[in-house]
Amino acid sequence: MSEFKPRILVVDDEPQIHRFLRAALDAAGYEPLRADDGASALREIARKPPEAVVLDLGLPDIDGKEVLAKARAFFDGPIIVLSARDRENEKIDALDLGADDYVEKPFGVGELLARLRVAMRHRVLREGGEPIVTAGDLVIDLERRRITRAGEAVRLSPKEYDLLAHLVMGGGRVVTHRQILTAVWGPAHVHDVQYLRVFVGQLRAKIEIDPAQPRLISTEPGIGYRFNA
Amino acid sequence: MNAGEPRRPDPDALLAEAGKSGRGRLKVLLGMAPGVGKTYQMLQQARRQKAGGVDVAVGLVETHGRPETEALLAGLEVLPRKPIEYHDRTLLEFDLDGALARKPSLLLVDEYAHSNLAGSRHPKRWQDVEELIGAGIDVWTTINVQHLESLVDVVWKITGVRQRETVPDAALTRADDIEVVDITPAELRQRLADGKVYLPTTAQLASDNYFKTENLTALRELALRRAAQTVDQQLLGAMRRAGIEGHWAAGERILVLIGPDATATSLARAGRRLADTMDASWTVAHVERPNRPSPSAAGAAQLAEAIELAQQLGGATVSLTGDDLVGAVLDYAARNHVTQIVIGKPRGGRLREILGASLSSALIRRAGGVALHVVTDATTTGRERRVRTSPRRPDAWRGHVGAAVLVAAAGAVAGLVDRFARGADLAMIFLVSVFASGLAFGLWPAVTAAALAALTYNFFFLEPRLTFYIGHASDLFTFLVFFVVAMTTGWLTGRVRDQERSASRRASAVAALLAASHRLSGAAKQDEAASALVEQLAAATGGRAVVFLPRDGDIAASVASPEMPILTTIDMAAARWAWEKGELAGAGTGTLPNAEWIFHPLQSHRGRTGVAALEPTGLSPEDERFVQALIDQGAVALERAELAVAAVDAEALRRTDRLRAALLNSISHDLRTPLATVLGSVTTLIDYGPSLDPAVRADLLESIREEAERLSRYVGDLLDMTRLEGGALVTRKDWVDVRDVLRAALERIERRRRGRWLATDFPDELTMVPADAGLLEQALVNILENAVAYSGEGSTIEAAAYEDRGNVVISIEDEGRGIPTTELKHVFDKFRRMEEASDKVKGTGLGLAISKGFVEAMGGRIAAASPIHGGRGTRVLVSLPKAIATHDILL
Repeated sequence: MSEFKPRILVVDDEPQIHRFLRAALDAAGYEPLRADDGASALREIARKPPEAVVLDLGLPDIDGKEVLAKARAFFDGPIIVLSARDRENEKIDALDLGADDYVEKPFGVGELLARLRVAMRHRVLREGGEPIVTAGDLVIDLERRRITRAGEAVRLSPKEYDLLAHLVMGGGRVVTHRQILTAVWGPAHVHDVQYLRVFVGQLRAKIEIDPAQPRLISTEPGIGYRFNA
Repeated sequence: MNAGEPRRPDPDALLAEAGKSGRGRLKVLLGMAPGVGKTYQMLQQARRQKAGGVDVAVGLVETHGRPETEALLAGLEVLPRKPIEYHDRTLLEFDLDGALARKPSLLLVDEYAHSNLAGSRHPKRWQDVEELIGAGIDVWTTINVQHLESLVDVVWKITGVRQRETVPDAALTRADDIEVVDITPAELRQRLADGKVYLPTTAQLASDNYFKTENLTALRELALRRAAQTVDQQLLGAMRRAGIEGHWAAGERILVLIGPDATATSLARAGRRLADTMDASWTVAHVERPNRPSPSAAGAAQLAEAIELAQQLGGATVSLTGDDLVGAVLDYAARNHVTQIVIGKPRGGRLREILGASLSSALIRRAGGVALHVVTDATTTGRERRVRTSPRRPDAWRGHVGAAVLVAAAGAVAGLVDRFARGADLAMIFLVSVFASGLAFGLWPAVTAAALAALTYNFFFLEPRLTFYIGHASDLFTFLVFFVVAMTTGWLTGRVRDQERSASRRASAVAALLAASHRLSGAAKQDEAASALVEQLAAATGGRAVVFLPRDGDIAASVASPEMPILTTIDMAAARWAWEKGELAGAGTGTLPNAEWIFHPLQSHRGRTGVAALEPTGLSPEDERFVQALIDQGAVALERAELAVAAVDAEALRRTDRLRAALLNSISHDLRTPLATVLGSVTTLIDYGPSLDPAVRADLLESIREEAERLSRYVGDLLDMTRLEGGALVTRKDWVDVRDVLRAALERIERRRRGRWLATDFPDELTMVPADAGLLEQALVNILENAVAYSGEGSTIEAAAYEDRGNVVISIEDEGRGIPTTELKHVFDKFRRMEEASDKVKGTGLGLAISKGFVEAMGGRIAAASPIHGGRGTRVLVSLPKAIATHDILL
């Protein structure tokens, strides 16, 4: 009996991409699966759900975002989106539609595999449910709603706490502005990105060692924020 | 306005002020009568201005030979006058264009009320002044109070002289400064006695009467009061602008009711006077009663005149409709918060007054809370006859003949009856003919019938027969009955008919407007809308019509119906005036009345869309309204057409943009995919190299090479294109055997042919051509790549070369799906890629464009044909001219 190999479905219409990703994924200990278009990708996911999906947004038959939305109806695992640098909105849409993360083309395989690991770990964490997250000397107790840094309590306003908790629960993934605003301020405020800027600034001032060079909460310009545990 | 609300400047007042900025200022020197020294005063002040450094010019000053006035002119710049031919004489008139060209900062123009000679741009001098002020020139002018439009009647009552040269009151109100030049009546009489007052001969005759002390006193009061009023209004305006709560009357509104008669104009003037004293807004209304006979031509003209006058005097005008006159008026009054109603003295005479049918008593009975002013008018008192109404209809004589025929028939029947049944009441038979005439032909033929019947009956059937002698008084009664029956039936029939006619006229007007609006709204293009409009206008006016449309910053006569007329320069000037100022111009208007046409600006919500020119044909007010409605609709239709054109342009632009975006997208995709592959493969090799299977490693390296080559091709294509576009392409011509070049190109394509078969068909002998081998090879490679991309695996691509007259031709054929005919002409365009290629096409969409550029740079031509066999395949032909001994080859 061979060892367990997580199955990763790569959805892309470029055979060259499959060529090197197959080699890289195989070498990294995954079992690569291949789909060349949206329809076969959906079929593959429905037939036997893989551990994760790497999805190119530019597919010949169905728009990648549509594949994402359809897949999310029956697939809960991590989905990493491959997209072009010049399609900012597409990335945001994909994240809002339930993608776990994105990688811009062209990319090094190291980056893709790192994102893939974070996404898969986050799933494990969310399913297992460890309520205490530590990042350096910062300890976030999601159950008791308490934050300490080097043992000292950090006082956060309720909104600041909600914001931080939401980012932390993202587990290293990028969380879009829309997702944060909807969760923390409510659906009426999805466009009030300026709130977010102010609160993230306040939060950084309280939890970052050097707020001018934030390391815990990093900015994905125009897209959202990421909490680096 | 709410008490708590802070006073805000009145926007209307601010707008009026804003409209003034950039305009010159108008100062009017107002006098009570000739001889008070207005001109003298004006010149003195002007000298002071000039001394103060102001650029003063005298546009026109009438010194009437008075030496002291002439002395004042010395040292002032007097603009030359313009000679105008008038009745075989040359008169010197004020030169408006000269003054506009000179453009002093202050211009003196005497005699504000002067009427210009026919042929001038404006009929009145105050209109000249208006234009001068519009051009930013300050103007000083003079006027006597008697020339004010609204005071004409009053002055006439005071002095017995009716002024012909008048100025609308608005022209005075518009003045920024009014200065009364005032001397006492006694002083003026003294000056008159000293011969210091110039009077035209006609006035001289009346002068004794005119310059009576009591007249002068009354006129002086008028002048002072009018000046005070105007100053008041200006003060009020200033207060409103500043948002100061004033004492102005809480919205007095005056409604002046006029009808189609001689009192109409006087009523309009009365309305203006009342409005002035009350500082109220005023509206002149007339009521149209659909079920009444329409007014006579004279009445309609008087009505139109009064409406125009009211507009000149600054009043609003409104046309109400309703059979119940009083109801219509009161309804309007209630809706518009009218507080004062002005009507004329009832015309119905004492009888109607007593019967309670007069308008005033009806209004008094039904109007609540509204003050009623009844104006008696001098012009209608006394023996002035009303203009006879009821114009004869052209076919009136037929009615009378018909009546005579009916009476004759009655006579014949009566004769028969008389023969067989003596003693029968024959009068009844004649009565029937009278009655029938009334029903059939209306009032006057019925009266004719009654008269004829009475005569016939008397002559033939009443004893003594064959005489007109009337034996019995009862016979007289019979005749009276004839006439009563004739009048009653005739009048009733006439009324029914009038109603019918007016209803059908209205219905046809509505139908015509509806039809016109259908046509206009159906016109999608500007010229369609314009021709629909001219046709409708020509039909509605019975004359010719022209529509001018904007063209290159000017307007040009674009469409005409029935045919394009010859337009004079005056007509064109009037058309431009209407276009530029948005005002009516041309015949019968205040601007360029000598033009042969009337020019209506086509005004829509967003601006002017053109000018409609009509031949002046005396139109009834109803037709006038219809024409105006047509013009309004036409303007809107033209605007819509313009917008539609703009929308099409915008759509085309949007498509180009979309196309460009799609191209950028695909180029970025084309560049990114090989980069992604290279970067991905390289990082895989770096990260996992040692653990990879050697075969996998080799495959990755191969993939890197392929993609790097692909990238290089794209970059090469883009560079080639840039060179072509930038004109930086240098061709190095040499003697070339195209077979060699073709073989080299096939060689290069060999590794990328992906299952297509390559075939060649070369002749043994082929003339060499002067060409740049490098460029030709690239051009052919691009064509071959395209053939590979657009054909299926296992198909053949055939390359051939042959001679055709003076050319060497290279032919490259594939067995792909071919190119749709519509696309064929675009295959050599940049960034052209067919929507669905049979295989996945990876190219920049530049290949064939580059081929074309290169081939043409070498003096050759390129063409594509498709389909070539059995509905499939594409053939690209490159033809290069054989050696023609041109210099660059010989060298």
